[in-house]
Amino acid sequence: MKSLVVMRNVLWRIVQDRRTLLLIVLLPLFFVLLYGNSFSGSFRNLPIVIVNQDNGLASVRVKNADRMTLAVDLAATFVSSLDTEMFDITFSDDPDTAADAVAAHKVWAALYFPQNFSHAVVNEALQQSGERTVEMDGQSVTLLPGTVTEGPSTVLTVDDANPLIADAILESFAVSFADVLGTQQASLTPESLLDVNPLYGGNIRMLDFTAPGIIGFALTLITVMLTAMAVVRERTSGTLTRILIAPVRAWEVTIGYTLAFSAVALFQAAELFLTSTLLFDIRFIGSAAIVAVIIIVFTIGLQGIATLISTVSRNEAQAMQLVLFLLIPAIMISGVFWPLETMPAAIRPLAYISPLTYANAALRKVMLTGQGWADIAIELIVLAAIAATMLVLSVVMMRRQAYSA
Amino acid sequence: MAAETVIQATGLRKTFRTRVALDGLDLAVEQGRLYGLVGPNGAGKTTLIRTLCGLLRPDEGEARLLGWRMPSVRVRSQLGYMPQDFAVYDDLTVLQNLEFFGGLYDLSRRQIHERAGELLDLVDLADRRGEKTGELSGGMRRRVSLAVSLLHKPRLAFLDEPTAGVDPKLRRTFWDYFHRLSDQGVTLVVTTHQVEEALRCHVVGFLSQGRLLIQDSPEMILRGTGTETLDDAFIVLQERGEAAR
Repeated sequence: MKSLVVMRNVLWRIVQDRRTLLLIVLLPLFFVLLYGNSFSGSFRNLPIVIVNQDNGLASVRVKNADRMTLAVDLAATFVSSLDTEMFDITFSDDPDTAADAVAAHKVWAALYFPQNFSHAVVNEALQQSGERTVEMDGQSVTLLPGTVTEGPSTVLTVDDANPLIADAILESFAVSFADVLGTQQASLTPESLLDVNPLYGGNIRMLDFTAPGIIGFALTLITVMLTAMAVVRERTSGTLTRILIAPVRAWEVTIGYTLAFSAVALFQAAELFLTSTLLFDIRFIGSAAIVAVIIIVFTIGLQGIATLISTVSRNEAQAMQLVLFLLIPAIMISGVFWPLETMPAAIRPLAYISPLTYANAALRKVMLTGQGWADIAIELIVLAAIAATMLVLSVVMMRRQAYSA
Repeated sequence: MAAETVIQATGLRKTFRTRVALDGLDLAVEQGRLYGLVGPNGAGKTTLIRTLCGLLRPDEGEARLLGWRMPSVRVRSQLGYMPQDFAVYDDLTVLQNLEFFGGLYDLSRRQIHERAGELLDLVDLADRRGEKTGELSGGMRRRVSLAVSLLHKPRLAFLDEPTAGVDPKLRRTFWDYFHRLSDQGVTLVVTTHQVEEALRCHVVGFLSQGRLLIQDSPEMILRGTGTETLDDAFIVLQERGEAAR
């Protein structure tokens, strides 16, 4: 059977190629571990700020008596029932400062309990459920519905730039409010107690939220693949040797490559942004110039990574495998689909070495929330540092490729 | 006046893992010489050329080209190198290849086109200049590679198997051209594993297992070994070398 002869030859050559063999064995394992770890996590340590001005008292009408003041401390009950693993809670005295912290993306949510919170909740509950008899100091006391005094409302300001996190916060708060309302035997919903104030009016869809990351990933894939293939081909065909024996410096060759592939990346980015805004109405409210700078700095780093990949790859097939080996995990861990906040601590350092993490964060800030230079400074500095390091390594490797060609 | 020594290698040693490719090799070539480097496959010809050009770093010893210790950026503009593989862009036309590499040597467009005309006539590809290099035969691509290597008028050229796969008539044209260049003072190191071809060289170096068995004029080699052909001389020298080891 000739097919068996062919099969044996193919398998034998795979077994002989240690790098390919290693990739075949490790790649699936690596993906499963990464996938399982990065998608199974729950939200942890989301910073929120609480302004609790609730005096904890509720003044209610009582049957056959005057009004009575109950110490119910409902805001404190709410706070104590919050999931402490999910939230990293700080307290503030000033509702405006707290709301500003949300607007500045320092915290995900600010919850303001006014002075009359307990009072309002108890009376709202009585009004809805009718008179209620409670045991107090061994005596039965019947509480009567009264007029609910108007006062400042309870306000939740939430950063909905990340709709996943905003939804998770609302859901968790609803559970805690249910605990509080349970004490009042009321069927009030959190919505009836809260003025929810989403920072972006709930206009950021899941599609908008994932678009910057997907665009970043598409650019990563195309740029790394193109660059790595081009450099490997240049080396294996011998043209790189010929170039490097000419009076040309390795940095001149590297810069030439960088300029060419940056132009390609910019063109592709323009194509990606245009089609996604025109066809799918992707939210893009920030500056196109800032996005262009992010893309250039980001893709220079990618080209460096591609050059390194090409250095350690003997041929185009190996380069392709390595590209996939590095890029598929990158999209899982870079916060494109699932926020970094949910990632287990063991995986998170990986996210912080992936340029896509910073590109995604910066693109989101500009596209979704229209933030400017100052807001993306950290991401841009990290991307620039990656780009600079990779450029230097590329120059070194470019020279070395000629030596090893 | 003695001719300038343009290639000077002393004690070159290069190993790849356990295989010794160059084994303490010394070499001196004077300006304007046509030096034929011959030896069987795996003798170390390509390793020697790559080491001399500065593409490989020797484990021991040093190589100097035009007085500069290699690797040196300074000699590159005066150095021509034709690798054994074609080392041209298949997706570019013949002329586009010449234009690109000419650009790396700071040649103007006019200079490139003048030289391209001359060299494409030499390698008999003038009428194929507009064709994609990848669509040419192996022998033709090798000729494009030779044209690229000599485009910038190097003072010193290393040509690794320039005549492999080239028909006898064109091979003769190449050797005539190499002599013309040599008359103009250009130093050429040409490798070949067709030993008889080396009769056309001023000096022949026999390389075997990373060592130079002999380097002398073809006539002196024949006389010294008492043989009638360089093939026979090579076999005699190889046997003597093995006996001496």
